[in-house]
Amino acid sequence: MKSIVIGIHLKQTDVKPIADAMKVGDLFASVFAVDDDRPLGDRDLLIEVSTIRARLLDVATFIAVRYGLAVRDEDELAQKVAGMTKGWREVLVAHRDEVEMTLKAAAASPPPRPNRLDFQSGGAYLRALHEATNAVDIDPNFRRGVERMLIPITTRHRWIRDTSSVELAMLVRRRDLHAVREAGESLRRDHPTMPFLLSGPWPLEVFADDHQQ
Amino acid sequence: MAEQQLEITLVETLDHLLDRGVVIAGEATISIGNVDLLYLGLNIVLANMDAMKRTGRK
Repeated sequence: MKSIVIGIHLKQTDVKPIADAMKVGDLFASVFAVDDDRPLGDRDLLIEVSTIRARLLDVATFIAVRYGLAVRDEDELAQKVAGMTKGWREVLVAHRDEVEMTLKAAAASPPPRPNRLDFQSGGAYLRALHEATNAVDIDPNFRRGVERMLIPITTRHRWIRDTSSVELAMLVRRRDLHAVREAGESLRRDHPTMPFLLSGPWPLEVFADDHQQ
Repeated sequence: MAEQQLEITLVETLDHLLDRGVVIAGEATISIGNVDLLYLGLNIVLANMDAMKRTGRK
């Protein structure tokens, strides 16, 4: 059997009985045991882990571990996370009462994505990709609406761009989740032609490295 | 309409599962039906295999 690592939690009671818990430093990892021959890309497994992730978040905020890590036991996990638990503890204590929400919106007029074949060097391609990404923005009216209605409810936010969309990652107090959803509905009424997706709550994903800033 | 919303929610959920959160040392090739969909490695990269090939990465 192997264990898929789902998240890092402050208390064992944040994990059990929803998932199995592995002790890691003075924290706990939520894990899900699967047969060795079951591929990590199994669709049902992905959905199962997603469901467990959501149920764990109902109990308490945790740091999400990107899907794909499977370990044999606590010793193997301890080796892989050596040096990380102190920072994680700080994040988990500081944001115990917060969750993440995301708003994804299509770019107003996305510039064409650079084609690697048009560039002789990888460096030139990466520079062009960086410039194209920085040029992406959403409709300014919609952006102003987001800044006026959503951002004041958050405790922290970060704009993330790729070459075709803009995403707002928000850290939100659990008690403000309803206000965030209401602000989303207001945005939908005020900007009926603007396609966007407000989703969450999510565990600490974007803000999981908060202690490093 | 409800079915479409369910699909969006599922896609969004899987997107967060596969593309967010802390990356811990480890490497996995995630495949469905013998087709590699995602390659996770070097602690930093999670990308669509096809996109990686198109951009010249091996």
